Parts: sequence; structure tokens; C-alpha cells
Amino acid sequence: MTPREANPNFMNGVPELLILQLLQREEMYGYAIVQALHDRTGAVIAVGEGVVYPVLHGLERDGALKSRRKIVNGRSRIYYSVTPAGSHRLTDLAETWNSLATAIKNILIEGQHAEAIS
Amino acid sequence: MQKPFHEVRERLLGAGIAPRHVRRYVAELTDHLADLTAEEQRAGHSQEDAKCAALLRLGKPNDLIRAMLEQRQFQAWCVRAPWAIFGLAPILLLSAAQFIAVRILLSGIPKFMRNSTATPFAHHEWFFVWFCIGLIIYFGAPVLIGWAIGLIAIRQRLKIIWPVIGLALVAFLAGTMGFRAEALGMSIVSPRVYGYVYGLLHAVVIFSLAALPYVYWRLQKVLSVD
Repeated sequence: MTPREANPNFMNGVPELLILQLLQREEMYGYAIVQALHDRTGAVIAVGEGVVYPVLHGLERDGALKSRRKIVNGRSRIYYSVTPAGSHRLTDLAETWNSLATAIKNILIEGQHAEAIS
Repeated sequence: MQKPFHEVRERLLGAGIAPRHVRRYVAELTDHLADLTAEEQRAGHSQEDAKCAALLRLGKPNDLIRAMLEQRQFQAWCVRAPWAIFGLAPILLLSAAQFIAVRILLSGIPKFMRNSTATPFAHHEWFFVWFCIGLIIYFGAPVLIGWAIGLIAIRQRLKIIWPVIGLALVAFLAGTMGFRAEALGMSIVSPRVYGYVYGLLHAVVIFSLAALPYVYWRLQKVLSVD
């Protein structure tokens, strides 16, 4: 697990986390990944669709993903899938995010208690 | 009519992203645009409206460019280490080419000179051909290396300074340095520096030939902007 920074960027690693999680189940191409993100997050997370590709290329460069060109229904697209290194990275990112989410939740609960008392 | 991602491609290349990464990014954006356009058409829009909506959903050029620039590992080597690509590499390539050329020239003497028994081709025509090969490598290598420098600079949309440094370095070294083979022992080779005038003239000729593709491209760029 990577050491924590003093002032972490909270959205750092979120796109990677979501993409790795989606691709863990099945290989997908860029358009399908964006649609899945939109559908499975209830449109809470909706990004400019084209910006998914630098993230995918970065993950592939790091060895977390592999790609291949496939022809489906007469259309040639580049499909991505997770490598074993990508699975490790997903585990690390998920752990970090869960810790962060728990910490934030604790602070919010404390704040609500303080309001209730006052 | 410009292709949809022309601005994205040109700005990414100008910002130092390697051409192969830009090419792949643009190809995938084009595929994605086709999928989005098809989706919008299925929703009932005309082809023109569908394409506009698809382009909006894909993201503004600034956002697409910024996302790629954040991935610093995609920078080209000629941007990360221009001193290596335009300084060190040309010197090494030129040295290697001159070494090969000199070896060819020297090896021809025992092989093809009259009365040689090394090969059945001891005849002045074969000698001439063998030596021409060596001379072509010797005089052609600086020009070819210069063209390679120009091609790298064109592909990466580089500013003028580093390509000119590389071309000048190659022209200067190739133009002012030479080799003299002593007949004694047929294998003594010594480097020498030509006289100033001849050397500089030679360097200017090499520079002019080597810079041709790059100069042509820059002229085309200036004329198209005008």
C-alpha cells in the first residue's frame, strides 16, 4: 500500500478504481466503460466521455490493464481487461478509498452528534 | 473541412506527447464519436444534430487535451531529453557511419587492387564499385541523419531551436572532419581537420541538404497560416 500524503487529493485514483473494478468482471471498450460508469453510479459520476482514454492508456502503461483489438458486429474496437498487477492495484485503491470513506463518515457523524446536543 | 480532432492532435503533439500515443488517442476518440453518434441517431436526432451532440458529450478539446497532458509518461523522448536526441544520438550515428565507411574503403584496397589474389574480382571496375559504396555511406550518412532529425522535429511539431542545433552539429562534424588513408601498410587511418574554407563550405552544403525536408515543412506551415 502506498504511503499516505499529508494533504491527499481526494479524487486521486477514483477513475482508476472504478475502471479497474468494472473491467475485473469483463473486458470492455471505452464507450462501454463510460456507459457502465454512468449506469452503475446512477449518473452521480458522469465525466466528459473522451477523458477516459488517457486513464486507460496510463493504466495499460503501468501494467494494470492489457488491450486487444476485437471486431464485434462489424465494428473494430480496442477492448481492455485487467492484469494480475491490475487486480493488486484495485485491492490497494479499494482499501485506501474505504479507509478514507470511513474517516469522513466518522467526522460527519461526530458533527451531527454535536449539532444534536447543542 | 478539418477532421474533428485535428486541434486535439496538433496541440498534443506541440505539447510534447509522443506521436504514437496521440495517434491512438485520436483513433479511439473517433471510434467513440461514431458510437455516440449512432446512439444519438437511435434517439431520433438527425445525423448532423447527432454528431454535434456526440461531440459535446465526448468533451471540449481543452478537457480532452488536459486529460492527456496529465499523463506525463506519454511525453516523447525528444521533448524529455532533446540533448540526447538532437545532440548525442546524431554524433554517435555519424561516428558509426564514418567508421563503417572507412572500414569498407580500407578493406577494398587489398581485395580489389591490381595483382591482388584475395578475390577473383581484382579489377578496377569492381574496385570502383566497392569504393563508391564506401563513399556513398561516408557522404550520404550526414544527410540521412539530418533528414531523420527533420522528420522527428516535424512529427513532434517541435520549435526550431533543437532541430537546428542537431543539423548544425552534424553538418559541422561531417564537413570539417575527414580521414586520410596512408598507402604504407594500407591500414593506417588518421583523422584530420580540413582547411577552414573548404570545411565550412562542405558543412554549409551538408546543412543545406540535410535541412531540406524540415525547411520545406516549416515553409508550408507559414504559408498555410498566412
